[in-house]
Amino acid sequence: MTATAASHARWSLDDGRHEHVVFLVEGMRCAGCARGIEAAVRALPDVESVAVNLATARVSVDWRGAGSTGLAQILAAVERGGFRPVPLAGDAASAQFQAERRAALKRVGFASLGMMQAMMYLAALYGVSDIDASMATLMRVTGMIIVTPVLFYSGAPYLVGAWRDVTNRRLGMDVPVALALLLAWLPSVVNTFRGTGDVYFDSVGMFIFFLSLGRFAEMSVRHRGLTSAEALARSLPAQVARLRADGSQERVAATELRAGDRFLAPSGAVVAVDATLAPELRPDTVALLDESLLTGESTAAHRRGVERIRGGSVNVGAPLTLVAQAAVGDSTLASTVRLLERAQSERPRLARVADRAASGFVAAILGLAALTAAGWIHHDAARAFPAVLAVLVVTCPCALSLATPAALTAAATRLARLGVLIAHADAVEHLARIDTVVLDKTGTLTESGGAVLDVRLFGGLDRASALATAAALERRSSHPLAAALRAHEMAGIVAQDLREEAGQGVEGVIGGTVWRLGRRRWAERCAEAGVVRALPTGDDATTWLAGPAGLVAAIDIGAPLRSGARATVDALRALGLDVIIASGDGEVAVRQAARALGIERALARCTPARKIALVRELRRDGRRVFAVGDGINDGPVLAAADVSCAMGTGSAIAHCAADLLLVHDGLEQLPRAIVTARESLRVMRQNLGWSLGYNLAAVPLAALGLVAPWLAALGMSLSSLGVVLNARRLAGRTP
Amino acid sequence: MSIAYLLVALGLGVLGLAAWALLWAIDAGQYDDLERQGAMILEEEGPADTPPGAGPA
Repeated sequence: MTATAASHARWSLDDGRHEHVVFLVEGMRCAGCARGIEAAVRALPDVESVAVNLATARVSVDWRGAGSTGLAQILAAVERGGFRPVPLAGDAASAQFQAERRAALKRVGFASLGMMQAMMYLAALYGVSDIDASMATLMRVTGMIIVTPVLFYSGAPYLVGAWRDVTNRRLGMDVPVALALLLAWLPSVVNTFRGTGDVYFDSVGMFIFFLSLGRFAEMSVRHRGLTSAEALARSLPAQVARLRADGSQERVAATELRAGDRFLAPSGAVVAVDATLAPELRPDTVALLDESLLTGESTAAHRRGVERIRGGSVNVGAPLTLVAQAAVGDSTLASTVRLLERAQSERPRLARVADRAASGFVAAILGLAALTAAGWIHHDAARAFPAVLAVLVVTCPCALSLATPAALTAAATRLARLGVLIAHADAVEHLARIDTVVLDKTGTLTESGGAVLDVRLFGGLDRASALATAAALERRSSHPLAAALRAHEMAGIVAQDLREEAGQGVEGVIGGTVWRLGRRRWAERCAEAGVVRALPTGDDATTWLAGPAGLVAAIDIGAPLRSGARATVDALRALGLDVIIASGDGEVAVRQAARALGIERALARCTPARKIALVRELRRDGRRVFAVGDGINDGPVLAAADVSCAMGTGSAIAHCAADLLLVHDGLEQLPRAIVTARESLRVMRQNLGWSLGYNLAAVPLAALGLVAPWLAALGMSLSSLGVVLNARRLAGRTP
Repeated sequence: MSIAYLLVALGLGVLGLAAWALLWAIDAGQYDDLERQGAMILEEEGPADTPPGAGPA
């Protein structure tokens, strides 16, 4: 598994002038490491920005293409810093996870075996006075034989990490840990050979066990976050079998597929790109596809003939030969994945604050350990050594720097399960604090297409033929109305001499008589003289149909509300939020929707500028605004709000300004997303409070010599384990 | 008391054996997926012939 340039998740949005890559880094453990990588990459020419996310172990780099810097140089810089870059795409990353997991599990298992055994033998030395010297020596030697391999096998990551930090002249979290391990182990070995004095082998074993356990838990959370939020990304095969013109196969990287290429999709495999069935298959071939990754729909979809098979769906039927319709980078899936990658590689504000605190922390611990040593040597030299060990071990900057990322990763996992994707790292924090929701109507609260809502008939025609007449008149129109009416066309009703009157409606001849469809005043006039009927008034969204006998029908066309709209609005209000509709639609349609949803404040005929002004005004009043729109027309509005959510799919989402994406148009997930965000913020606060409180309380106790080294090891590991488990609580629960 | 030396040596031997068995089991993939194997008896056929970790999610 070499990190070749071809297998990395990289892309460029402007033909190579600016390039972007995201990759995983192995061996990154602390804020110090993250800063080291950032510095190393930033030192390269043409690099515009570098973001290193500690919790997800990702590095994201933007650079100007066509210069001296390429992906190879960036990867080399990371490697020089002592870390191994690992490509993110496809199998390489999952193989990487598996290897990492097995290695961590072996370390934990080995340490637990060694710890228990060492404890059994060395317990003989505790408080038993009548043990004879030769037996005591036997126990010490046995302890040494057991714990030494544990130190150099299970403890290897800390020793190696500390060595890397020291040689790169930075203070990472591994430094105090490795120092403590060696400080406890070396004198114990010396004392074993001298045959007198204390040995700390059991403490060393226990310390390593708890450390490995804590790190294993942390790794599980990270992997779990990756596996669910990015089941998408990772499920895309890295390689596909492409068919040459002569029918022979060649294995190529999925990124090399171009539109028109024929390739194989074995059963059970993920289709790499948007594609159709190959023409040489039998014409009655039906492809069975599981599209749940894309749509959440779990029953298999059937695709025939030239119907499009979406990249990212799983072939659950027979093996297929497919023709690629687009390159990998142009598919919906790829755009979504890029957004996720960007969000996961950004470091949110809260995490940056904690990172800064944690890096100062290591220096402070080392200073404090030196002070403790100096103090105790004057006071009681015999107790200096355990006290220094305890200070080094008991403090835990990792809990501090894990507090926020662990909670955020867990929140992202749960949100992804709801179908809400995080596109900006700070989104969760902002979402938790909102108090006002501004909803767009069309495409958000309502379905995107129009439909006939109501037909009122005034005699002469039945409903079906009235609609068919209207459809015939609108046949050539591009008005949204026309699309809604098209479903009601009827054979035999054809309009001729169609004429459009700007701003009024259409006129045409059907069966020799003139018909009009449009505004009331204008339509009425096509009636033969003297035929004026007293009719109820409609509103400006109503279209009127008139023939020789005057008005015959009033047709209300609009977009129906989404099924979950009412429940969503109620739930949002139950969360204590103000809900406002800001729509570009006409007064009546908006008022109607507002009434149906029980919303008091509804603004109609909003231009984008007006919506932005509304959002700014609300924010000036001290409100925190959450804007929800379709993501296409609302870009600037979404950007103006504190946090925003876009509905919809398609490649446009990659460029949209929204902080969150609703992937399945599931409006009703919004309140749950807000609840999740609030819970995550609470967990973050708990975590930060807990880790700060723990460190503040533990350090003085350790410095005063009140904490035994083994107890310090336990406390340190429990504090980071507590943070990780507290966050994990969030990922496991379904709201 | 010389029996203690023998017992300790035996204990270390058993420990070494246990450690070797554990590391072997992890490397052989016994701990890779703790949930799926339990449900395997409910599947009609054996698991698809994809290598562990490389199949569809």
